[in-house]
Amino acid sequence: MLIHLKGGHIVDPVNGRDETGDLWIENDRIVAAPPGKLADEVHDVSGKTVMAGAIDIHSHIAGGNVNCARLLLPEKHQNWLPNPVALPFSTAKWSTFETGTIYASMGFTTVIEPAIVPHQALQAHLELSDIPIIDKGMLTVLGNDDFLLSLLRDGEGPAAVADYVASAVAASNGLGVKCINAGGATAFKYNARTFSLDDVVPFYDLTSRQIVEALQRAVEDLKIPHPLHLHANNLGIPGNVATALATIEAARGERLHFAHLQFYSYGAEGGHGFSSAAAELAAAVNAAPNVTIDVGQVMFRQTVTVSADVLRQFNGSEMASPKKSVIHDGDGDGGGIVPYFYRENDFANAVQWACGLELFMLIDDPWRIFFTTDHPNGAPFTTYPEIFALIMSRDARAEATARLPQEAVAMTTLPSIAREYNLNEIAIMTRAAPAKLLGLKDRGHLGEGGLADIAVYSPGKDLAKMFRFAHLVFKDGDLVVRDGRGTHYRWGNALKVNPGYDKAIDRRLAGYYDHHFGNSRDLFTVKEHLLPRADAFREVACAR
Amino acid sequence: MGEARINGKPVSLAAAAERAAEILSQARMPVIAGLGTDAAGARASILLAEKLRGAYDHMHSTRIFADLDVMRQAGLMVTTPNEARLRADVFLFIGKDLTKDWPAMMERLSPAKIPPFDLVHEPRKLLWIAPGRGGAKGEGLVETLDSSDLHATLASLRARAAGRAVNCAKGTLRKLDEFAGVLKNARFGVAVWGGDGLDSLSIEMLHGLIRDLNKTTRFSGLPLGAGANASGVVQTSGWMTGFPVRTSFGRGFPEHDTWRFDATRMIESGEADTALWISAYGPEAPPWRKNIPLVALASPQTVFAWEPQVCVEIGCPGIDHDGAEFARETGSIVGSLASHRSQAPSVADVVSQISKHLGETPKC
Repeated sequence: MLIHLKGGHIVDPVNGRDETGDLWIENDRIVAAPPGKLADEVHDVSGKTVMAGAIDIHSHIAGGNVNCARLLLPEKHQNWLPNPVALPFSTAKWSTFETGTIYASMGFTTVIEPAIVPHQALQAHLELSDIPIIDKGMLTVLGNDDFLLSLLRDGEGPAAVADYVASAVAASNGLGVKCINAGGATAFKYNARTFSLDDVVPFYDLTSRQIVEALQRAVEDLKIPHPLHLHANNLGIPGNVATALATIEAARGERLHFAHLQFYSYGAEGGHGFSSAAAELAAAVNAAPNVTIDVGQVMFRQTVTVSADVLRQFNGSEMASPKKSVIHDGDGDGGGIVPYFYRENDFANAVQWACGLELFMLIDDPWRIFFTTDHPNGAPFTTYPEIFALIMSRDARAEATARLPQEAVAMTTLPSIAREYNLNEIAIMTRAAPAKLLGLKDRGHLGEGGLADIAVYSPGKDLAKMFRFAHLVFKDGDLVVRDGRGTHYRWGNALKVNPGYDKAIDRRLAGYYDHHFGNSRDLFTVKEHLLPRADAFREVACAR
Repeated sequence: MGEARINGKPVSLAAAAERAAEILSQARMPVIAGLGTDAAGARASILLAEKLRGAYDHMHSTRIFADLDVMRQAGLMVTTPNEARLRADVFLFIGKDLTKDWPAMMERLSPAKIPPFDLVHEPRKLLWIAPGRGGAKGEGLVETLDSSDLHATLASLRARAAGRAVNCAKGTLRKLDEFAGVLKNARFGVAVWGGDGLDSLSIEMLHGLIRDLNKTTRFSGLPLGAGANASGVVQTSGWMTGFPVRTSFGRGFPEHDTWRFDATRMIESGEADTALWISAYGPEAPPWRKNIPLVALASPQTVFAWEPQVCVEIGCPGIDHDGAEFARETGSIVGSLASHRSQAPSVADVVSQISKHLGETPKC
């Protein structure tokens, strides 16, 4: 099948294109214009914007914690719309089927679930398998697991740690490594109620900093493309910018991805003891080229916070709205599910909203800042179109800011910022840079040989509408969305890495599981034949 | 090899699937019940329910919702069997059916062993409320508290733990205070509950007690849940539809209601006119007392009150074939590999075959 996209505005920062031109697709790949051949299908896309499919690096779309949130809040996602025949379950709110369908309709073709503990990996992959259309992947959570902490306590050295990390990633079919409040979930089991970078995990005599450093090193040693993905300590607390700055410093110039930075950009100034420190934090990020961040933008509405930072979630459960929550002390990391309503007229929520936008605006390099709401923690991913409008339009921001409590606005620098993202910067932040960050060479660009994951938008005054309803979306060269509506399901892959390691660690782990847990480690290994479709995975090379 | 029958007469699996599809497609309101099956079987069944615009339920819904209704009213604090085994310095067992429900519980939790993750190296304290006759025997030093009314006992215990007055006999009060003292001094206590004796009110009171204890120390819960992969089916239903079992596609989208979509109630009231009964983990028969057209995917040796129009004998996940299922041993969905691999078909196989006769549908 040869497809010709004719006369669109091509925005492809990787190949330096920001111009009117054509694009050719043959089967699942982008190809050069084939001389003398006629296309099987021609789409006149003149006046439209053509970009690679967008990539979301941090969105909680699967796993035991997410599913628990679904079951916790049946009253918040009642249905009313029958699904189109071609898309079963696609109108079932918050179902995996809806997730894939909505992401695709916004032009997203790859989404990464960032927080799966190894013992929940099979369920996570079963869920990912039922997300249609898009490709997905998940990050393996380590950093509160007894085996790792024991290795570090016993001074076993980086090689043993790297072998263990590689084995855990391989068994869970992860695309990278995430660390969530390193040591915090464990400290909480010993009744700690606060936990910071240099606090010591009882029983192991290790600081959070030491755990992060060890995991950071293991990821580098294993040549996993994605740097350590860190959810730092002290999320959501007034004055936690100090922790964020110390964490950036603690990376010592080594690569680090700092997740949902908005939740760490708080000062403790002013009458409410709560202020934006986003400008200071953005400056620190600008000065640390080794650090990438994603924003975790807050938007005003009902949502639910879903996090393996069980200590933080327990502390936050007093603020649950509606008043119910689940706190799970898991094997290693656990989880907390706390519903929350961000209100436009709430001082703290307004500051949080502004903090996210300040980070978007004040971090200079679109290759190092990523577009997220930490779905669903800051807001559901369905709010992305509104956020695109906010960062692309100073007027849209001014209008939204005018509705907020002005004493909250005064605690931020937002009104002074004039910057507006252009389409090229949007394409970097949501396409090119995520592909680079995750090591996905086959996507994020529109060059020859690239995967034909393509989003075509209808530009217009209403930026949110432009990004909510993509005009056309191709996944692997297959036209899956027309005028913002899914046309049919196809089934993508879960992307994973398979770092090499000394298999001796597997024998050791087998013994550890038998002795400690009294069950076989093999129970937790994700076996492809237990998933509903063959070829569930696509491997991403470990090399940089 | 599993057998297939139409009206009691042996037929091929293919013929049984075709006839099953015919029966189900003629129904005004079909219901898929039992649902004792692995994740693949649950997934295939829910896809089929959507295609048929029917409802689905699990055979252990009463127990499922005893816990789940508390979670979605008040929340829960829970932990895993691994954490309980390795960390708990106090176990609070509640109910008389725990070891009957989960015969391997004591071996799995090893309450008589010193917990290796505890900072203090000493034997665990073991408490048991309403142990019945067999519950608390032979597992080290167990303090027991009998109860003829779990609501009152748990409420009184919670009150005493919070330092509030209760009106009861002196001996009972002393015992309650002794229990409350142990709970409050726990470093990481775990309450273990299950069985038919605990309803939502008891569990919600227990949850309140656990929340209260966490103001000063750490305490969590370990609900044993129900058998026949109830938790695994609920999880599968959760990601596919957003809801647990007792969900219907009658209006073209999933609607969840624990009363309306109770399979037995639907059948006995006449709202559902055809049933697909699924039980892969044991020879459970449908519990309703009304003879309606029935397709059964059942374990061999199942004794039915009425011979089903179509019956297919199916294999058991983890015995006859591999399957992903919720394991009580780990508190998560794990891969169970066949211990005695056989040719008996899986629920997913048979349901998919039935589904194929119901017309082309999008590939899911």
